[in-house]
Amino acid sequence: MSEPILKLNNLCTVFHTARGRFTAVDGVNLELFPGEVLGLVGESGSGKSVTLRSILRLVRPPGRVSGEVRWRGRNLLSLSEPQMRQVRGGEISMIFQEPMTALNPVLPVGEQIAETLREHTELSGNALRQRAIELLELVGIPSPKERLRDYPHQFSGGMRQRVMIAIALASNPKLLLADEPTTALDVTIQDQILKLLLRLKDTLGMSVILVTHDLGVVAQTCERVAVMYAGRIVEVAPAAELFAQPRHAYTLGLLNSVPGAGSTRRPLIPIPGAPPDLTALPPGCSFAPRCAFATDECTAQRPPLMDISGPESPAVRLTACIHHDALSAAGEVTR
Amino acid sequence: MAAPALLTVKPRARRRLKPSLVAGLVIIGAFVLMALFPQVIAPYSPTAFDYQAVLQGPTAKHLFGTDNFGRDVFSRVVWGAQLDMQIALFTTLFPFLFGTLIGALTGYYGRWADAIFGRVVDIVVTFPFLVLVIAIVAVLGPGLKNMYIAVSAVGWITYGRLIRAEIRGQKRAEYALAGQVMGYTPARIIFRHLLPNAITPAIVYWMTDMALGILLGSSLGYLGLGAQPPTAEWGVLIADGKNFLATAWWISTFPGLAITLAGVGFSLLGDGLADLLRPRG
Repeated sequence: MSEPILKLNNLCTVFHTARGRFTAVDGVNLELFPGEVLGLVGESGSGKSVTLRSILRLVRPPGRVSGEVRWRGRNLLSLSEPQMRQVRGGEISMIFQEPMTALNPVLPVGEQIAETLREHTELSGNALRQRAIELLELVGIPSPKERLRDYPHQFSGGMRQRVMIAIALASNPKLLLADEPTTALDVTIQDQILKLLLRLKDTLGMSVILVTHDLGVVAQTCERVAVMYAGRIVEVAPAAELFAQPRHAYTLGLLNSVPGAGSTRRPLIPIPGAPPDLTALPPGCSFAPRCAFATDECTAQRPPLMDISGPESPAVRLTACIHHDALSAAGEVTR
Repeated sequence: MAAPALLTVKPRARRRLKPSLVAGLVIIGAFVLMALFPQVIAPYSPTAFDYQAVLQGPTAKHLFGTDNFGRDVFSRVVWGAQLDMQIALFTTLFPFLFGTLIGALTGYYGRWADAIFGRVVDIVVTFPFLVLVIAIVAVLGPGLKNMYIAVSAVGWITYGRLIRAEIRGQKRAEYALAGQVMGYTPARIIFRHLLPNAITPAIVYWMTDMALGILLGSSLGYLGLGAQPPTAEWGVLIADGKNFLATAWWISTFPGLAITLAGVGFSLLGDGLADLLRPRG
């Protein structure tokens, strides 16, 4: 396999507040390879979005990021702010959950695309305009020439997300961070946007990290999946294998709590309890208090992320579950 | 088919100007015209004495009557517009610009900049506005220039607070974060992206503030701390006529009406602008 393009080493993001110390991202190690789509899944508050923002150093005070974000040989966490601005939007772009508010309401969209082009390319004048039209065409906006003058409120939600993608792609980034890009959209538009992202990924040769809590989206788009819980990565696996045979009790719980469309109807099995308080994480596995498989061993100390890729599965599989063997024996996904 | 025709109508074209905006524009427009071309509109010189026509009531020859020196009150009110429009602008322009700048910076950066600004606000709002202005003018000496300095030193606070609050709200919007993601500098995010979204309340308040500025200028003129006689300034004119209120009501009344009308005009304008600039979905 080729060299990873992005490598997170022990990434931690901590918020010091009056109510205590929130560990939103707790020692995340992750690799991303060129041209890959990696899904980052987990419940709300599991640290997915904060991880993305930490990569681009967009965490506002009182949040502090530590560890290492190794991007094409450089540690982003040690770059100066002007150097970081070159990376943001230039090499790494990001799109957001809320297309309704992620565009500036008082500027025409053409102007907003042009602004990014001016910032990160040498284009000007007519060439710049042409490129803006091209970008809108690329993301599938009909009659792009006319729509350059339109304001964000004249676009529908799906169209706005397309405009956001066009802006994010303006400078040919090598990595696109997508923070729940389809959550605010209805299912048909969601499908269109995901297909668009996949197509653009191939034509532009980007890597994508797709943050979502929607396992359906993951199954449809991602090659590899990392599951997050309470700020930690608990399982990493190729998407197909993860769905077929989860090797972490939390992943199994997630899969059992999702209705399987089209298959035989079955009762949903929710995960009991609620995610832990980030100011007071349990000492061992943070999922242990909600876990049916939990033993004393789980609560004694924090289980590390173990490599369990065996001869039968050549791709790298990681899990932080001590009982991953018990899971594969007992835990058929009930679908 | 009617439907396509309807669809082609741009939303902007359907927006009708509010009556309050039109009324405000007409009133302020009239005063601005007076201020620009007083010599065309006023039939007499504002300072020419005419002892043949002293303390005459309103007639066709002297629309607003004459004062105790035989000066034409209408002409003085018209020339007064020049000075009072100037006062409206100069007592508010610097506060608007400076307050916007400070408010934008403190609102965006927060933390220590915000803490300092907060204490300055606390100090200034402890004193009644007029008392503070009068105190500053008393120290600097009476006159228009010192009045501008005094009002500016105090007035920017309000704009700063307005803009700060708006920027604090706007900077949480995702487009501000998106701007950061695109690698824009903080200056660009603040002034190109956040400020246009945050400036509306300040502009609307600016209009009201101009009315207050005229009132303040007139008050200080009346008290002898602003424009000095024989300059035609509405506050000075009212002061001129106060000894003749019982016998020649017109000397003070017409400048007073001019102040009222200008105040109403600016308020209507501010009101109308608030409607016009209100963001739509």
